[in-house]
Amino acid sequence: MADNSKIGVYICTDCGIGESLSIEGLEKVAKSELHVPVCKSHPFLCSDDGVQVIRDDINKEGVNKIVIAACSARVNTDMFDFDQSLYVTERVNIREHVAWTQPPNTEPTQAIANDNLRMGVMRISKSEAPVPNTTDVERTILVVGGGNAGLTAAIEAASAGYKAVIVEKASSLGGWAKKNYKGYPVKPPFNELLAPSIDSKVKAVEGNPAIKVYLNSKILQIAGEPGMFDVKIDNAKGESSSEETFRVGAVIMATGWKPYDASQLSAFYGYGRYKNVVTNVEMEAIALKGKIARPSDGKPAKSVVFLQCAGQRDENHIPYCSVVCCNVSLKQAKYVRESNADAGAYIIYKDMRTPGIYENFYKATQDDPGIFLAKGEVRAIEEAPDGSLLVDIDNQLLGKDMRIQADIVVLATGMVSNMLPDGMAVNAVTPEYVGELITKKTQDGDIQELNIFPWTLNLKYRQGPEMPHLKYGFPDSHFICFPYETRRTGIYAAGAVRHPMDGLQSTTDATGAALKAIQCIELTAQGKAVHPRAGDTSFPEFRLESCTQCRRCTVECPFGVLDEDEKGTPQAHPYRCRRCGTCMGACPQRIISFSNYSVDMISAMLKSLDVPSEGEEPFVVALICENDAYPALDMAGINRMNLNPNYRFISLRCLGGTNLVWVTDALSRGIDGLMLIGCKYGENYQCHFIKGSQMASERLSKVQETLGRLNLEAERVEQVQLAINEWDQLPRILEDFSEKLKGFGPNPFKGF
Amino acid sequence: MGDGTTVVTPDVGFVRSLQEAGADTLKRCYQCATCSVVCELTPKDNPFPRKEMVMAQWGMKDELAKDPDVWLCHNCNDCTKYCPRGARPGDVLSVLRKTAVAENAFPRFMGTIVGNPGLIILALAFPVILFGIFIAIRMGSGQPLFPEGQVVFSKFFPIHYIDPIFITTATLVMLSFVVSVSRFWCRLNVQPYKLLAYGQFMPSLIATIKEIFLHTKFQKCDANNERTLTHRLVFFGFIGLFITTNWGVFNIYVLGWDSPYSLTDPRILALFHGSKELVFLFYLAFKVFGNVSALALLIGGVMIVSNRLKDKGFVSKTSSFDWLFVAIILILAITGLLSEMLRLADVAIPAYTVYFVHLVFVFYIIAYLPFSKLAHLVYRTVAILYSKMALRDVM
Repeated sequence: MADNSKIGVYICTDCGIGESLSIEGLEKVAKSELHVPVCKSHPFLCSDDGVQVIRDDINKEGVNKIVIAACSARVNTDMFDFDQSLYVTERVNIREHVAWTQPPNTEPTQAIANDNLRMGVMRISKSEAPVPNTTDVERTILVVGGGNAGLTAAIEAASAGYKAVIVEKASSLGGWAKKNYKGYPVKPPFNELLAPSIDSKVKAVEGNPAIKVYLNSKILQIAGEPGMFDVKIDNAKGESSSEETFRVGAVIMATGWKPYDASQLSAFYGYGRYKNVVTNVEMEAIALKGKIARPSDGKPAKSVVFLQCAGQRDENHIPYCSVVCCNVSLKQAKYVRESNADAGAYIIYKDMRTPGIYENFYKATQDDPGIFLAKGEVRAIEEAPDGSLLVDIDNQLLGKDMRIQADIVVLATGMVSNMLPDGMAVNAVTPEYVGELITKKTQDGDIQELNIFPWTLNLKYRQGPEMPHLKYGFPDSHFICFPYETRRTGIYAAGAVRHPMDGLQSTTDATGAALKAIQCIELTAQGKAVHPRAGDTSFPEFRLESCTQCRRCTVECPFGVLDEDEKGTPQAHPYRCRRCGTCMGACPQRIISFSNYSVDMISAMLKSLDVPSEGEEPFVVALICENDAYPALDMAGINRMNLNPNYRFISLRCLGGTNLVWVTDALSRGIDGLMLIGCKYGENYQCHFIKGSQMASERLSKVQETLGRLNLEAERVEQVQLAINEWDQLPRILEDFSEKLKGFGPNPFKGF
Repeated sequence: MGDGTTVVTPDVGFVRSLQEAGADTLKRCYQCATCSVVCELTPKDNPFPRKEMVMAQWGMKDELAKDPDVWLCHNCNDCTKYCPRGARPGDVLSVLRKTAVAENAFPRFMGTIVGNPGLIILALAFPVILFGIFIAIRMGSGQPLFPEGQVVFSKFFPIHYIDPIFITTATLVMLSFVVSVSRFWCRLNVQPYKLLAYGQFMPSLIATIKEIFLHTKFQKCDANNERTLTHRLVFFGFIGLFITTNWGVFNIYVLGWDSPYSLTDPRILALFHGSKELVFLFYLAFKVFGNVSALALLIGGVMIVSNRLKDKGFVSKTSSFDWLFVAIILILAITGLLSEMLRLADVAIPAYTVYFVHLVFVFYIIAYLPFSKLAHLVYRTVAILYSKMALRDVM
């Protein structure tokens, strides 16, 4: 291909570029220095006219690598859209990153634009149009769990023309929704409880030929990758059980929730010790029997106390809020009132949380003369000889201790994700994967190893049989931007397994997940990445003959793309890949590359820079994440902030792709400092590839050794965590690093 | 749990009774405390009406009965104006006051009868029958129902009937108040405001009376400040009429000068050393004072009605209990003035009829004083006095 490549450089002079830069200067760099065969400037390149100039060159001159030196890569993508299977397009940002952040017509400003053009041309010369890896896919969606979320997902998938298979461990469909006496209202006037509606969904599933249901079943294994997951289940039929296998294109994990183990609340709340202390789940069962009566002796309940957040928002039990319990208690308070007009229902809360439309339900319920609400804390619960309960509370609205006499005490126990095996403590889940730490004796001493519990999905992935979790057993996803995207491509979590939610929300959630599953199947068929580089057709390629089986790539891939054979040689499941390049950054042998993204490419770009051989100001290269840091830089430009002119920016798909060889490449070229600007990591990460920026930081921690070998200060390399909305801090960040570098003096390799 | 902990059992009936008495919005309160912040009358420590709202929502009858704060409220409705939830704390407190009056009433059944607007007929029937019997007794001696000749009310209903009736009634009212107020005081005088020293009684009483006469609390009202004037008119109107009544008693029993106060009565002339001018001036002073007081009451009453009819949204929705009271004030003032005019016009049947109605309502006001809205005269005074002694009311 290299022989056939013909580069065309197109410089736009609009939007202040022409007034700020010497276009002849840029053309001279392209033509005389870089020997680009075609180089043109245009006053309005993103117009139909401008784009036609490029198209003409493609058609008549045979240009197949198009460098557009103009605005940010994030804008005008619809205009500069050339068939990616035939042509490579490279955007060189001389507008936001140069003309808009630098004083016009100065030598340093021109130098940045020239360098950006050099790097762009170098990048494209090392880049080839990827060949899309299309495939046959199975247009069936596996739905794990037959509760409200699972039923909804299956129905939605079927109505979009796909097939669905529901695997349910219980003997019937419907889940928790079937165990409710009534539901709380979701539309005006919000004062009538609703009859349960789950039966209509169950019927819709049972009568749908596109949906197959396996009851009494569990998953033995899910192997493969998006478009072609092979599922093996154990399907119990009466006494016997049988294994069945089938293929699906995507998976929706709708395994829901379980109530918190109330026996843990025995000491304080008396659950298990006092017969009339029940959970909110048990209260539904009481209501289903007809009258609200005491479990101990069947006497009608005249006074019922609901204790909110029982074992919730409590570090010793469930540290989080389960969101639904306030509404559930309001609903159950109405059960009490409907059962007996003179009965009272007390709700003792920490905060009344009825978000969104449910504020109306709260208002309507509050109006009932027999429902008594108060912010308060429980001090103790005692049982009276007649079986009634004496609940001592600190009524914080009155600043007063009170004792309420109750026939029933209902504990608003919370929801636990079914990602957690039964009986497992929510507040002490092992990090990243649900399992247990076991100590292994090795020659190097004892090491701690995580034994991940197989529980629901039984994935055949190198990284473990279940989904990674973020906290408390909720499957990890990019919570802010891409809530449905878990860390396993093609597997989507929906409903209360993902975080506590009610039926209405889980319906919406399951609908969204079904559409994501469909999108995944269709993009996979076309060989395209699903997320977040949706439509990317590149694939990582492995030069396995040079592989040393170090397993860094297989360990570090955040998405479990790579399995390995016994020797440790990586075996890719390409359709699981999100094209972040973390494997590429991890590989010490540099054997992993993409046709349009490689270690060598970035090295060549570093080497293409015109590094000043002397000068007071430190010369810095910043590797920036294309998802947050690059647009943050655009924002700085849009807001016309002045940036330090001695920085050069190279955008990466993710900082996770940072290969340590670039540190050597940069510093040995006389570059004074290397900065990595990427996403925040840790608990509140915003990395699009989840662990990329964290991986980069781990790798950088090992760079000391390299720098020591070059006789350089470790602080010359620095990683900065920056979210897109922190763009206003960029000038200060660049200035601070520059100041720090001044303290070290110039890079001794300068001029070599 | 130690002593003093409130044991709570559901009293849905009490909450419902508050709602039915006009506090139908009380359940809406979500305890943001805007009411307590905007209230100009509330103490900084443990302010009302926020806590009263939650106590009412929870049906805490006993707690409310011992709360002096409901009486510190002068119902200016700043709270109701600013309440974000439309819970109308002003109305709720007004209903709580009414409940307290009924709760402390002696005899209690009177509290129930007078407190229930539906039983107004029963409450009015008593004086009608009572006065009817007296008229019948008078007619028993052969006199016609409406006496002939110049209209003189004592011919229709002799003074020697009126005095024993009203003196007895007033005595009973005093007795009732003694019992009610001591009950009320005992309810108030518990923790957290239990009085330890009574030394502040006189200074507190003086401060209380001064404050009531000057309408200091009313003047702090922001949302509905017209009420200062209307309350002053009604308040001083009643006081004026009270003085007028006693002046009349003085005229009869001390001066021996009977209605219709003849200017040529020798006894009165002798008292003024034969000076007709001085007698006339004395007569005029008495008449003008009485008429001005009656007019003050009438104007005050009319202004209350017109203020309430202006739809300000936040102003008291006004329970029927409240309307009833305003109506009685108006009827009292109108029948009083009308009796006077008809008497001067010398039209016997209308004059005597209106006078009869007037008497019935005068009886209503006086006899039912400890049970009607007018009881606040005593309860509020006592509560403010108590609060001042307990260093609760800082004004």
